[in-house]
Amino acid sequence: MKRYEWALALLVAGTASAQTLDELKADGQLSDALKTDNVLTYGMGYHLQRYSPLTQINRNTIKRLVPVWNVSLDNNWGEQAQPLVYNGVMYVTNARHTVAIDVGTGKQIWKHTLDWPNDTPRVVCCGVSNKGAALYNGRVYRTTLDAQVLALDAKTGKEIWKTKVGEWTDGISLTLAPLIANGVLIIGNSGAEFGVRGFIDGYDPDTGKQLWRRYTIPARGEKGNETWPQNNNAWEVGGGSAWITGSYDPQLDLIYWGTGNPAPWASQSRAGDNLYTSSVLAMRPKTGEIVWHYQFTPNDAYDYDACWELILAELKVAGKPRKVLMQLNRNGFLYVLDRTNGQLISAKPYEKVNWASQVDMKTGRPVETEIAKSIRDMKATEHWPSTRGGKNWQHAAFNPNTGLLYANTLHEGRMYRHLETKPFEKGQRYQFIENLPLPRAAGEPVGHIEAIDPLTAEKKWRVPLTDFQIWSAMLASGDLLFTGKETGEFIALDAATGKQLWQFQTGSGINAMPVTYTYKGQQYVTVLSGIGGLYWNINREALKDRVPQGGSVWTFALLPE
Amino acid sequence: MDLRALAGVMLATSSAFAQAPAPQVIQRGADVYERNCSPCHGARMQDPQGAFDLRKFPHNERERFIAAVARGKNQMPAWGGMLKPEDIEALWAYVVSAESLYGH
Repeated sequence: MKRYEWALALLVAGTASAQTLDELKADGQLSDALKTDNVLTYGMGYHLQRYSPLTQINRNTIKRLVPVWNVSLDNNWGEQAQPLVYNGVMYVTNARHTVAIDVGTGKQIWKHTLDWPNDTPRVVCCGVSNKGAALYNGRVYRTTLDAQVLALDAKTGKEIWKTKVGEWTDGISLTLAPLIANGVLIIGNSGAEFGVRGFIDGYDPDTGKQLWRRYTIPARGEKGNETWPQNNNAWEVGGGSAWITGSYDPQLDLIYWGTGNPAPWASQSRAGDNLYTSSVLAMRPKTGEIVWHYQFTPNDAYDYDACWELILAELKVAGKPRKVLMQLNRNGFLYVLDRTNGQLISAKPYEKVNWASQVDMKTGRPVETEIAKSIRDMKATEHWPSTRGGKNWQHAAFNPNTGLLYANTLHEGRMYRHLETKPFEKGQRYQFIENLPLPRAAGEPVGHIEAIDPLTAEKKWRVPLTDFQIWSAMLASGDLLFTGKETGEFIALDAATGKQLWQFQTGSGINAMPVTYTYKGQQYVTVLSGIGGLYWNINREALKDRVPQGGSVWTFALLPE
Repeated sequence: MDLRALAGVMLATSSAFAQAPAPQVIQRGADVYERNCSPCHGARMQDPQGAFDLRKFPHNERERFIAAVARGKNQMPAWGGMLKPEDIEALWAYVVSAESLYGH
């Protein structure tokens, strides 16, 4: 063998064992070199489209879809994660464990267990959870409930480094999947419900050394701090978490990260727009520099997090292709922005909204109504959408061929009231609101599964939900949609009509993110089952005697004809 | 009735009343509850979708309540590392007063 052939062989061997930035960039891209054997990124591609062009499992073959293996995750806290797959090995996380599984046999290869203090869950507002790992260069990266980032050897599960991000007793927790963008490992915190000043951090994936921290609330003297009161310290305890993984455009070299609600929810002590809470930040992954921002809900008084998936796509706007970013924002509006510069293209309501009449296309700001005034005046007020949003975190999918978003939306108003705010206490709740249910007309849906046009917010179809409003994240797979229910059913819908074509009863409730991929030429679908997290917080009393706890991984494939 | 007898009745009455928590203790419990407990157990115990309905907690099981709050139980985290013992006692005072406060 000649020298260059040796070099080539080494190169190939190297790529086989440790995936590269190029592979991360290619994940979920619809190119000729499409590698459907792997799922390397949260969102099935940096664009967070949760779309796969695979067609073996389709509306004709779906009746042959059966479980091929199941692995217990030995966890009662709930399963929310998206599995990753590389070279026939699946990597799964929950709040306690990281597990590697052989895709072909369903055998567990290794397991790494975390040990966080028993009282950590008191600083987790909305359920103990973990949303998944990141893979890069032969390592598995994850975050922990007690605010650490971990690198594990992908082959053995052995810990390589561990970096403390903050003090959990301050109310800081981490539940998101890290993002690897341009060689930097990026995470964001949870904790706005405890008055934590939010941040997005970049780390060196090799060493765990912090490269940068960008607080989502600028300090005194920095641009943006003037949108906070100058006569109190509201900005220091002002929230703006960053608890869902952002998207990344490698061509523009920009990450897009949604920021959370300001703290406390009751807004008396924090007059002003409160930048950069309830916003999207476009940032350089190498430095954390903010290139542009757009604030969806200035002076948010409603817990209108802007953390939901920021889906990247190319859309035709007035006949011209535009690089856009889309979000079904919690505040009830569906936003389309030009992701090169943050310019607002469209913002249409996709659910019942009464706190604002519209979004002013000139200023980009919502036009608040008398309802908003009543809430700010601390009166108990019927408020739509409720603080849980027109949509909660269960991620939407986007099919680039149909140009439609597929989402689980919520149809819920609540009697909402701001209470008098009290002084900040480290590590304690910092909300000061009451939020009681409204009487509901018989037969009125509690939410929908629907196909939505991003630019008009018109519904191509919608399926009303009448029992439990929150389903799991959506996966757009060819002509199908996969999703799951709190009551444990894993479901396939016809993406053209919303008609249910198939279901399988898993062992617990489904709150997690399905994925699809190929292994030895055959298409597989995997989802985690295990009730927990926010959904259980909402419905625990209603479900405790119907849906057993217990996490596991379910993998499905087609029976031969 | 002489004064001595009247004083005896008053003493008996006030010691009977000592069983009921003082208003300022209930208020302290309400404040702790509003901040830390209402997100799961519901505002004013009215909307317990995600956690035990505290309006149904047996009033003769104080020790069980105190232990559950301090050490945690099932999905409820332990609060003993953050709340003072008097805070937890105040929470108990608030919880057993739910019916007289909110009429259920």
